[in-house]
Amino acid sequence: MIIKKPSIFIYTYQPDASTLKEVCAGIEEEGVFYEIKEMEQASPDELAWTAANDSMLGSGIGMNGCSISLQMRGIPKGHSIEGYLEPGQEQSRKLGANSARAIKKLPFK
Amino acid sequence: MSYIAGVDIGNSTTEACVGEVRSDGNIHFLTSASCPTTGTKGTVANTHAIKSALKQAMSKIGREVEDISLIRLNEAAPVIGDTAMETLTETIITDSSMIGHNPSTPAGAGQAVGEILLIDKLSRGVPGTPYIVASPSTYSYEEVAAILNQASDSLNITGVILQADEAVLVENRLRKKVPIIDEVSRIDKLPDGVLAAIEVALPGQTVRMLSNPYGIATLLHLDAEETRTVTPIAKSLIGKRSAVVLKTPGGNVRENILPAGEIYFDAENSSSINLDEGAEKIMQAVADAGNIYDISGQPNTNVGNMLTRIKHGMSELDQTPNADIRITDILAVDTLAPVLISGALAGETCLEKAVGIAAMVKTQKLPMQEIAEKLKLDLGTEVKVAGVEAVMASLGALTTPGTKLPLAILDMGGGSTDAAVISEDGKVTMTHQAGAGELVSMLIETELGLGDRHMAEQIKKYPLAKVESLFHMRMENGQMTFVDESIDPRFYGRVVLLAENGFIRIEKDIPMEKIVQVRRDAKRKVFVTNAFRALKKVAPGHDLKNISNVVLVGGSAEDFEIPEMLMEEFAGYRIVCGRGNIRGTEGPRNAVATGLVLSYAGERS
Repeated sequence: MIIKKPSIFIYTYQPDASTLKEVCAGIEEEGVFYEIKEMEQASPDELAWTAANDSMLGSGIGMNGCSISLQMRGIPKGHSIEGYLEPGQEQSRKLGANSARAIKKLPFK
Repeated sequence: MSYIAGVDIGNSTTEACVGEVRSDGNIHFLTSASCPTTGTKGTVANTHAIKSALKQAMSKIGREVEDISLIRLNEAAPVIGDTAMETLTETIITDSSMIGHNPSTPAGAGQAVGEILLIDKLSRGVPGTPYIVASPSTYSYEEVAAILNQASDSLNITGVILQADEAVLVENRLRKKVPIIDEVSRIDKLPDGVLAAIEVALPGQTVRMLSNPYGIATLLHLDAEETRTVTPIAKSLIGKRSAVVLKTPGGNVRENILPAGEIYFDAENSSSINLDEGAEKIMQAVADAGNIYDISGQPNTNVGNMLTRIKHGMSELDQTPNADIRITDILAVDTLAPVLISGALAGETCLEKAVGIAAMVKTQKLPMQEIAEKLKLDLGTEVKVAGVEAVMASLGALTTPGTKLPLAILDMGGGSTDAAVISEDGKVTMTHQAGAGELVSMLIETELGLGDRHMAEQIKKYPLAKVESLFHMRMENGQMTFVDESIDPRFYGRVVLLAENGFIRIEKDIPMEKIVQVRRDAKRKVFVTNAFRALKKVAPGHDLKNISNVVLVGGSAEDFEIPEMLMEEFAGYRIVCGRGNIRGTEGPRNAVATGLVLSYAGERS
C-alpha cells in the first residue's frame, strides 16, 4: 500500500530557488507538509489550479520562474487567491503561510 | 391640498414624515425619511439634518421641500444623554518584567528557566548555567539553528525567544528540542543576564505555570512577598498560548485602586455612594433616592470630573448665565476594560474593573424656538413648535395595528430610554431615563478593546457569521449558509458582520462566541434594566402589573434582538409587549413625527 502524506502541492516550471525556499519556509512554519513537482511550461495560475485540484488538501501553489500564485480547489482557473509576478522575500513567505492557513481555516495574513 | 411635515429631533437621529390634509380634514400620510442628527440635540446646528431629512422625504414623492406648507417640530424634552467610562483599578509595573504573548505558531512545549543571553553574545556563556537565548530577526532561521546546534554541546540552552515568526522553522532544525517563542517584537527590550521563565503550552491548551502565581514562584524561586506582587502578571497571562516572565531585581508590580470618588445625590432622600461599590449598589442608591434634583461627584476624582464634563458639555447648549443644568438620572453598568499596563514590555493590556455611566442632563428649556426661526428663514415655510415629545410619541404609537388605550410606550433611542403611559382619558405620565443605544456601543467598544466606536456600533447592529470556507459560513445561531459564488478571500476564516450590503470584516482576532456574549450582555445590562426602571416609574401605583400593553418604539426597538429580550423579561408580568409598527408600515421608527402630523388634525377639529 502506498501511503501519501496529505500535502500542499507546489507545481513549478524552472522555479527561482530563493523564492521557492521562502514559500516552503512559510508552509513549514505553519506545520503543514508540501510536495514540489516540476511540470511542463505553463502560467503560475494554471499550475496553481492544477496543483490545488491534485492536492488531497485542496491547496496548491504554482510557480513559473519568480512568479507565484496560490489557488484553492473549487475556485475557477484564473481567479487565484493571491499571486505575485516578482515577489519579495516577505511576500513569498506570506504566500506559503497562507496556503497552509487556507487548510487550517485560519484568516490569511 | 396642503402638505404638513412632522420633524422629530433625537439624540442621534432626526426623523421626518409628510402627510397631506384632505378636504374632509383627514390626514393621508405620504412619505417619511430619517438621517443622523447634526450637532447636539436642541441646537441650531440641527437645521442641517432637518432640511436633509425633509428633502429626502419629499424627493420620494417627486416634490420639493418648498411645497410643504407647515413644519411641526417636537418640543424636545430638555434632556440629553451622555456617556462616560472610568476604570477603577490600574496595574503598574516598574522595571517592566513580563511579556504575555500569543503567537500563532510557537514551537516545542513545556517550561524553561534560564538567564537571558543574546545570540551575538553566545561566546560569553558559561558552561553549566541554564540560558534562554534571544535572537533578533536579523538572524535567519538557518543561522539561528546552526549557531544553537553548535553551542548546544558546550552550553546549557533551555529555551529560545525569537523576534521573527520562525519558531517552527528553527525547532525543526535543532538537534536538542527546547520550547521556542516567536513574534516578540520588542526583543531589544529584553535585559541581558536577567533570570527569565518561558512557557509554551501543549497544543490545544493554554499556559499553566506562568498563569499561576505559585507556578511563577516555583520557576523563578520567589518568596511569599514577591509571589504576592506577581499576581497581576499571572492574571494577565491567563488564556495565552505562550509567555515570558522576567525577574528584574528592582522590579515591582502593583495593582492600584484609583480614587474613584463619591457620587452625591441631591434628592428627596439625599445620599452618597462610592463609585467602587459597583453598579448594582449605585443603581440601588438611585432607586432609593426618590425624586432626584441633581447628581454631582466628589471634586477632583474620576467620577467628579466625569460628571462635570457632562454638565460642561450641556452648558454650551444653554448660553444663559447661571443656566440651570442638572443631572437627574444616571445608569451605572459594571464592565471590564482592557487597559495598557504602565511599564509593560510589549504593549500588554490587563482587564481592569470599570464602571460605565450614562447621565441624563436636564436644562430648563431647549432653544427650540431658535431652531424654528432659523428653519423658517432658510425655507420660507411656516414652522411651529408643537406638542410634548412623549405625548406625540404616544399618539404615533397608537397607529400601530392592534393597540388601544390605556397604553404604555417605551421609546428606546440613542441617548435615553423614555417611557410614557396614556390612560383612557388621555392623561400622559412620562419619564426619561439615562442610558440607551450609545451606552451599549460604549460597552461593546471597551469590553472588546476595539478602540473604534464606529465598529462597535456595527457590531451592535448586525448579526455575526464565521466564514469557514470560500463557499460556506456558519451563522452565530449555528445555522450554515452555502453560497454559489466564492466568498472574497479577504473574509476567509474571519468573523464577519452580515450588513445589508455585504460583509464587514472584524479586524481583531476575537472568537465569535465572545463577541456575541459581550454584545448580548451589553444590551441586556442597559435595556432590560432601563425598561424595568422606566416602566415602574410611570406605571399606575408603580406596579408593573397595572400595565397591560407596551409598544416599543425608537431606533433601538429596530434592533434584531432587544425586543425579543424584553418580551422574554416581561412575559412573567403578563404584559403584551412588542415592537411598534407605526402606521402599519414604518416599523418602530417615526412615532413622534407621525404624532406631530396627527396632532395637527386634532388641533384643527
